[in-house]
Amino acid sequence: MSSVIWYLYEFARKGWAEKFAGAATDKEIVEAPDRFRDFPEVIRELCIACGACTAACPSPSAIRLVRTKDKDMEEGEGITYPVINTDACIRCGFCAEVCPTDPKTLRTGENHLIREEFTILPAEKMFVIDDYLCIRCKKCMKACKVEGAILEEDNKIMIDQSKCIACGECAKTCPVKGAIKGIYISNVEGQKDVINLVIHYLEDLIEARQDELKGLPPEQVIKFEVPFDDVLERAEGMLPEEEHIRDMVEKVTDRLKLRIITWDDSKCNSCRLCVDECPSGAITYDKEKGVTRDSKKCLRCTTCYQTCPFGVAGSYVARFLLTSTELQDDKILVTVKPALLPFRG
Amino acid sequence: MILPIGPVHPGLKEPLRLKLHTRGERVLSAEIDYGYVHRGIEKIMEGKTWQKAVYLSERVCGICSYIHSQTFIETFEKIAGDEAPLRAQFLRVIANELDRIQSHLLANSTYFSIIEHETLFMYMLSLREMIMDAIELLAGNRVHMAWNVVGGVRQDAKEVHLKSILDILDKFESQYSKYPQMFEHGPLLGLRSKDVGFISKEDSIKARTVGPIARASSVPTDLRTDHPTYRDHLDFNVIWRDEGDNFARTMNRFDEIPESIKLIRQCIENLPEGKFRKKIDIPAGYADRRNEAPRGEVAYMIETNGNLIKNISIRTPSIMNIDACARYMFKDVATVADAVATYASVDPCIACAERVTIVDEEANKTHEIRGIHNIKTIEL
Repeated sequence: MSSVIWYLYEFARKGWAEKFAGAATDKEIVEAPDRFRDFPEVIRELCIACGACTAACPSPSAIRLVRTKDKDMEEGEGITYPVINTDACIRCGFCAEVCPTDPKTLRTGENHLIREEFTILPAEKMFVIDDYLCIRCKKCMKACKVEGAILEEDNKIMIDQSKCIACGECAKTCPVKGAIKGIYISNVEGQKDVINLVIHYLEDLIEARQDELKGLPPEQVIKFEVPFDDVLERAEGMLPEEEHIRDMVEKVTDRLKLRIITWDDSKCNSCRLCVDECPSGAITYDKEKGVTRDSKKCLRCTTCYQTCPFGVAGSYVARFLLTSTELQDDKILVTVKPALLPFRG
Repeated sequence: MILPIGPVHPGLKEPLRLKLHTRGERVLSAEIDYGYVHRGIEKIMEGKTWQKAVYLSERVCGICSYIHSQTFIETFEKIAGDEAPLRAQFLRVIANELDRIQSHLLANSTYFSIIEHETLFMYMLSLREMIMDAIELLAGNRVHMAWNVVGGVRQDAKEVHLKSILDILDKFESQYSKYPQMFEHGPLLGLRSKDVGFISKEDSIKARTVGPIARASSVPTDLRTDHPTYRDHLDFNVIWRDEGDNFARTMNRFDEIPESIKLIRQCIENLPEGKFRKKIDIPAGYADRRNEAPRGEVAYMIETNGNLIKNISIRTPSIMNIDACARYMFKDVATVADAVATYASVDPCIACAERVTIVDEEANKTHEIRGIHNIKTIEL
């Protein structure tokens, strides 16, 4: 009986009833500490659609860039912003670290407070401006999404590699073909091999036409075409990724200029003037073999052509242009003309 | 009779099949089957840029995740021929030791739950919660800290964090000291633990056991003595015992916890001022690196071209410990319950063990390693 009275008394207590009605967990338990990394919070208005977060994400499908349409206008651009897939996100906070906007579009924990000098973005390509081709139109500076990544110094346009996020927007807007180059960071040795192979192949093609070139009067040219796939076939398998090879070969063959040196042994009188003049030691004299030229050592400086009194060495300039049309396969147009240099013979 | 336990079993933390060969209640020998949680994490890392793979390396293990990211980072620092600032090295030691404490407590709690001592099991987990809070405060998240980066640590530890870690440690120590005594002097616990799952020093060396399992059978190996930060700046003792049974392994873990606390206190007291992070350029190259994880030695071998990871191979401690358990500890065990308790006492971590396949290039074959019972049949 006494216990029943005790229970009634307990129920009647006001504090107990209040506690029962407004039951809640203690706030201190649920409150996350300052550095707790939850799924990143996205502030849509700040996004510049650079794609740095998608490039940095270790999980393959956690971040996606989405573009919305304006409701009022049909052809409006809308806004672009990242969307986090919470099933795939591993909450490492790397996206908040690399985001280049100020203030940051993505926030999580204290990761968005990490300073700029440490935001190392993993990228496949590195973009550089070729000063020789650059016309200083500054279109790339307007197109660049990151403030201060492309700068002007001493009348030269340069890319600041510590700020560049390698989005490639500048290369798309550049009006001069090849002025902004995207270079693959990995496999540098393999890339060198591809360049050497393509250039040696093209040189061999031209040197095979020596007879045509000999009779060529000055101010006239030889034109012919090389199918692009022929060149591409040779480079196959030299780099691990097929796309990289195609990109490399395209860049090498387009707007390429080569100096061609031809060598006619029948005219040689073994005067050995060229042997002394050659700066790289590519031309050697042997009692049995006579004067020989090693094309691998040759620098194409044309000193031998200018020295030789008998016209053994011939110098020509070859230009290459890559044409791509939808109707037919890609072709490389080759133009060869004699070099207009002082000639003693 | 062959008595299978697992892969899905309430007694085991992680999926693995134990096949116990029994006569009556007596366990004569055992086989172990791996392969239920193989994820191919090394293959995922290959071809990714190293900045991304830092966060993937933490996902190798679910309990001792910190040491994996630290070893990964230190391998890259070795390739670059550089090292992190001293402050960052000290902060790494703090996080590493906190991680070791929570891992040891979890391992012991599993052992107690297997031998049906629920009181100590609950005490262990409630103690562990304090350490988890300290980790969360320092690094952000409880298990996957994402705290290491090449050239230091991601965020600096402020005065507030260090002070609250010290407070937590004070509270922890005041509660902690009675539990090892409870285990050491408890008569029933002694009956279940002493002289069960014995492994001698010779067998332990033969089976290449590492970590607390080796140290409990008088092989005093601890890779922390070779680590530059521990060796040059900090002072600690290697704990080892000579009994070699379940009791020794559990006590060894208990005794290592005060050493870890001592290390954390030393670090916080002598924490040098200065940078906590610096830029390090990674050239192409190859390096390997070993570190002491809570379960033993973890080794990373990485080849990079300066940007992408070309090749990576990880060796985790659990694989040696589990095989030593199957081959040497399950010899004539009195009961099945003792066999399962022995298995729990070696602190198996299946998630980090299961990444191994051997590829025979000449014969064009792949061999899956399924524990000690088929490793002899693989001819290389």
